[in-house]
Amino acid sequence: MSLMPHSRLVNPRLGTYFGIFVSALSGLVLLLIIFEQLGAPDAALRWVMLIGPLLLYTAIAASVFTKDPLDFFVVGRRVPAGYTGLGIASSAMGATGIVAMTGVFFMIGFDALFIVVGGLAGFVLMAVMLAPFLRKFGAFTVPSYLGRRFNSVAVRILCAALVAVPMLLLLAAELRIGSFVAAWLVGQPQSLMVVLLVFCIVLGLVFGGMRSFAWSSSAQAIAAILALIVPVAIVAVMVTNFPLPQLTQGPLLRELVRNEAIQGLPIVDASSFAFMLPGDGMLPVAKRFTAPFGSVGPAAFVVAMLTVAAGVASAPWLLPRVTMTPGVYETRKALGWATVFFGLVMLTVASISVFMRDYLMDIVAVAAPTELPDWLRSLTELGLAQIDTRSTRLAFASFSFWRDAVFLSLPIAAGLPSVFVYFAAAGAVAAALVAAGAVVGALGNVIAEDVINGLSWEPLPSGSRVWVARIALIVVAILGGLIALLAPTDPLLLLLTCLVLTGSTLFSVLVLSIWWKRMNSFGAIAGLSSGFGVALVAMLAGSSIGLAGPLAGLLGIPAGALGAMLASLATPAPNRRILELVREMRIPGGEVIYDREMRLFRLKNRDR
Amino acid sequence: MRGAGRHLAAGESHRGANMIERKERKPYWRHTKWQMLASTVPFLVVIIVLPLYAESLNTEKFLGFPLGYFLSAHGIALIAILTVASFVNRQDAVDHWHGAHEDI
Repeated sequence: MSLMPHSRLVNPRLGTYFGIFVSALSGLVLLLIIFEQLGAPDAALRWVMLIGPLLLYTAIAASVFTKDPLDFFVVGRRVPAGYTGLGIASSAMGATGIVAMTGVFFMIGFDALFIVVGGLAGFVLMAVMLAPFLRKFGAFTVPSYLGRRFNSVAVRILCAALVAVPMLLLLAAELRIGSFVAAWLVGQPQSLMVVLLVFCIVLGLVFGGMRSFAWSSSAQAIAAILALIVPVAIVAVMVTNFPLPQLTQGPLLRELVRNEAIQGLPIVDASSFAFMLPGDGMLPVAKRFTAPFGSVGPAAFVVAMLTVAAGVASAPWLLPRVTMTPGVYETRKALGWATVFFGLVMLTVASISVFMRDYLMDIVAVAAPTELPDWLRSLTELGLAQIDTRSTRLAFASFSFWRDAVFLSLPIAAGLPSVFVYFAAAGAVAAALVAAGAVVGALGNVIAEDVINGLSWEPLPSGSRVWVARIALIVVAILGGLIALLAPTDPLLLLLTCLVLTGSTLFSVLVLSIWWKRMNSFGAIAGLSSGFGVALVAMLAGSSIGLAGPLAGLLGIPAGALGAMLASLATPAPNRRILELVREMRIPGGEVIYDREMRLFRLKNRDR
Repeated sequence: MRGAGRHLAAGESHRGANMIERKERKPYWRHTKWQMLASTVPFLVVIIVLPLYAESLNTEKFLGFPLGYFLSAHGIALIAILTVASFVNRQDAVDHWHGAHEDI
């Protein structure tokens, strides 16, 4: 039973277990470095670096097999704040936030900050406006929550249908970028790697559902953060003598900016609503690093930032994580940790791109086309960079880089052992697994709970409930894999589109459902559909209304809020039972509302 | 009566001490709403306005960084962390003041 004290207890050995994991991972990396120096074949090192960590994650996931629904869907509500925050932050960034963002920072510098600030603001809004109340409510999925809050099956099913769209887009984005890095790592076709990732995601979830995922994704997130931070810290020691690049590269950056001015890199002034993100492919450096608003105009910057914030705050693949903590207070703290981890990773990503620009500057400022350094030659041989050698003098415009390979280029440029490059790639694969797994778990639960059993408030019996969820998540993973194979689209664009759709559909409805008790089911239906519809139309109309796709939130989010408010005011107020439910949800103390409902169902069935 | 409510709220081991008194719910929610506004509005104003002035701030330097870039990246990250931390602390105090906190 959910109220038994033992289920509330946090496992005191968690730190030990993850300490063992970190030791195993570092041992693997160190061993591979030794083997590399001893002359082991390169292909073997690459395969071990890819498969070794995957085996560790799968072992963690398989060790927590579970049949109990409370364990399967919400880990028995006993994931402490730090691990929840780690999971939320790394599911929000995924591999797109690490790999593609490094490239975007490298190309457009300051303008890439809209994603960073938007993500941070998303966590603040989630912590203050949504998470504590959803934790008190305790529903396993966002559509379940909305359905119960408005006591309407229509809201539940409509919400399930609408959130499936952005979640599948995000799943495809993460699978594409994860398989791109994995394919580069082991030299196999990308489609084979999509299949491998889908297989790993299913193995990471199928044994114990969210319980397996919570712990294996913590390990993946730790691996991703280590793989991101360790190489760049080593480079920072080489360049600035101190292993904290986020804080110590200031003088380097100022020198870089001065040299960029000397080299005549243009200061671009974008129009207010211009929105030109670097796409997926070979691109030159676009503008000076710290000069704002060259690729993304000021108005577009603010709009895109707020859209990202709304999308992250109401993300249906992140919100179920906040219901897995031991209490409301822990949930609030978890979002604090998420902000810390997200900020740390994003500042590290920015510092990687500054180092890369600095290495490039060394060549542009000094070398002639005939005397290029080895690292740049090996990058061009790997197909990660291109050099235009037709002109006699090298300039920034002579170099093009593959956007998603800038992240992998830093250890190569710094001349670190190849294993560090492979480690960075394995970290990116881990980050892709965290985000893709979060989506597969959340969407699988939505389909099992709110679509297959969507017409009934009473859940299926425990055994079949868990098995239906297992089958649903396998189907979702395979579907995501098919989309990733069939629709080759830029992952960053997919991520932004996903956040626009999520923010427009859910943000206003979720916030109003807590903070405005007059809102009723008609308002929810109108808010969900008008937000989604307007955002979709604005994105499809795109160029004809002069608004880039990722800015469609400018119309979608207000449309959602307006639809929800007008339809609620035009229809009768909710009844006393619902008002009492909203009042109860606002108080942190007392029994979790959803758990009490499940307990009453169990009692009713026992009497029968 | 209010005093008794406070006393119960402060009592740790009393079963049911977590149940907020009915008439305390309105003041609790008013307090919570103000806390929500105090945590979000200044933060949103800063993150919207600060990057717009980054260019003119970039002529100054801090820790070697151009100031506009530093405040927009490191500064906003720090402000976000402090905002959530202060919200956790203040909202917890509000919960305890009105006896709305959890009993674990």
